[in-house]
Amino acid sequence: MAKELRTLTVEDIRALEIGAAILGTGGGGNPYIGRLRTEQLLKAGRTLSVLPLEALDDDDLVAGVGGIGAPVVGIEKIERGDECLQAMRAVERATGRQAAAVISCEIGGANSMEPMITGAQAGLPVVDGDGMGRAFPELQMCTFFIYGLKPAPAAIADEKDNSVVFTGTQDMFWLERLSRATAVDMGATAGYALPPMRGEFVRRVAVPGTVTQAIDLGYAVLLARRKKRNPVEAILKACDGVLLFEGKIVDVNRRLARGFAVGRATLHGLGADAGATLAIDLQNENLIAIRDGTPIATVPDLICMVDLESGQPITTEVLRYGLRVAVLGLPCHPLLSAPEALAVIGPRAFGYDLEYRPLRGSRG
Amino acid sequence: MTRIGPEQMDDLALGAAVLGTGGGGDPHIGKLTAMAAMRRHGEVTMIGLDELGDDDLVVPAAMMGAPTVMVEKLPRGDEIVGAFQGLNAYLGRPVTAVTPIEAGGLNSTTPFVVAATLGLPLVDADGMGRAFPELQMVTPTLHGIAATPMAIGDEKGNSAILNTCDNLWTERIARTMTIQMGGVAFIALYAMSGSQARQALVPGTVSLAIQLGAAIRGARRAKRDPIDAVLAITGGRRLFNGKIVDVQRRTERGFARGDAIFRGLGTDEGHELQIRFQNENLIALRDGEVAATVPDLITVLDAESGEPITTETLRYGFRVVVIGMPCAEAWRSEAGLALVGPRAFGYDVEYRPL
Repeated sequence: MAKELRTLTVEDIRALEIGAAILGTGGGGNPYIGRLRTEQLLKAGRTLSVLPLEALDDDDLVAGVGGIGAPVVGIEKIERGDECLQAMRAVERATGRQAAAVISCEIGGANSMEPMITGAQAGLPVVDGDGMGRAFPELQMCTFFIYGLKPAPAAIADEKDNSVVFTGTQDMFWLERLSRATAVDMGATAGYALPPMRGEFVRRVAVPGTVTQAIDLGYAVLLARRKKRNPVEAILKACDGVLLFEGKIVDVNRRLARGFAVGRATLHGLGADAGATLAIDLQNENLIAIRDGTPIATVPDLICMVDLESGQPITTEVLRYGLRVAVLGLPCHPLLSAPEALAVIGPRAFGYDLEYRPLRGSRG
Repeated sequence: MTRIGPEQMDDLALGAAVLGTGGGGDPHIGKLTAMAAMRRHGEVTMIGLDELGDDDLVVPAAMMGAPTVMVEKLPRGDEIVGAFQGLNAYLGRPVTAVTPIEAGGLNSTTPFVVAATLGLPLVDADGMGRAFPELQMVTPTLHGIAATPMAIGDEKGNSAILNTCDNLWTERIARTMTIQMGGVAFIALYAMSGSQARQALVPGTVSLAIQLGAAIRGARRAKRDPIDAVLAITGGRRLFNGKIVDVQRRTERGFARGDAIFRGLGTDEGHELQIRFQNENLIALRDGEVAATVPDLITVLDAESGEPITTETLRYGFRVVVIGMPCAEAWRSEAGLALVGPRAFGYDVEYRPL
């Protein structure tokens, strides 16, 4: 494994918190508590380093780790701290091989931080990339599984010292099903570790550079705030995104169904969008943006809502009447829009009878 | 050391259903899979607990789930061997014997599939001396033996290894996984040394079941009362003669739960018996008074044939004799009653030994 490690500072982690929440497209859980835990490890003298994707050797084993469960529970049931590490160790015991690096399966939201914590605890670098480039609600919805990762052995572990290693699973959907049910038993949150992946595979199928991307996005917001510039413009400049809409939330219809927050938010336009209406359909994440009845953005492209003034990302569980927001569209990575990926994470996979149409260029 | 062949499976299954106290799953299915495995791989050597060396590694294998589901979701056949081998691989050293964990019901016969297929001796013992609905309800728990590492698997190729903080958590997580796997799963757990097995297991329960089955069938042939034969062997007594007049049964959180009402016949004319069950018969109330409770064994037998009737087959009109049999001594200790006494099942009554 090569050199080009970047060592992260407390400032970097604070920027990551903001950037990861933007990439969470409304879901993925709040990274706040993870950020606090990561900072604590740094203050205790642990090192946190990020390794470029291309620096992985073919035979390096990479462990995908993260938290599984309901983000709302994660806010009040705070981790013991080593759940993901225990899950990773359980997979290592089952395979008899040690991980050389960890990677996030989901850069959007809270799971941006879990690999940081596991990496700092295990003394392993975190690979600069992830399996989604955003957030999605289920395990199988990541590029690792979409592009052929065998779904065993994976593991989940909790704060009570319970662990389950899934030594065989029929397919990635069964891994999701068994892990989800076990996580509910464990108290609705647990740490998971995916089957070990070879460096060569990770280089090929991980969404590249997303840790750096999230940190850069966060710095763009922080810098704009400090310099009293428009943070929305700063985000768009930092990520090749499109401003889809500026408006005020006038209605939120949200319910819990099948363990997800499902619903629709309606916005009335402000400024250049005055007179127009935008509807956003959500299932934990923002999935479809519909302007005056016409879909203008769909999964897997990223639909992100940020506060119009502060650039602060707005998650689906805090959506409410009166918020002034900018809705941004960020093009997803080509790994997510290939036909085999759309079968798992395209609009139809979420029950919408819609074709995926890639986001068009910036509105300027 | 005894040789056990397919021809003894009829007796074993019949006797195990008596010890199953209504649960443990219909032994018929376990019998068929055990007989198929023995015909294919040969007879099984059964050894007593006293024949185990201190350093033997003994692993119980079993089927887990709701008996109501087991009746119609038949096993593929090799799942239990898969779970056993999964745990064996995880333990990293060879297992030297397999044992039933539950002598009552189909789990008396399922370990024979493992013993025949892998050529391992089967220990004449179990962890209950009867059947119980939950994983932690075994005598090894009383001796501080951990249920995990535990292997679990299904017919679809899903498998997992559990490690838990205590045996109650093993039950909780394994039950959820069993439900996800379709209501039935196959497990290997409570790996223990030979010396632990000698201390913790209930001895001689497989041969007891075979003896019970042979006695019932012998009595039928000789036109004697098969129920007397059962009571003579187990030291049990008749609790009630009657007819089933109502059954409430639901499959809930992975269990067959409910109650059955019996109206008295003959000497019990004018009286009523109610049995409450959770897979197994847990408590018998005669005219509202407790007549018998867990951990003692309550079994419903057909009045004519002595055939045990499991909770999932109870229905209106059956003429039955309800019998009570004393449980294994280990269960009558304070720790034993805390684990499997009436209060452990939510009944606020004192246990009074039969």
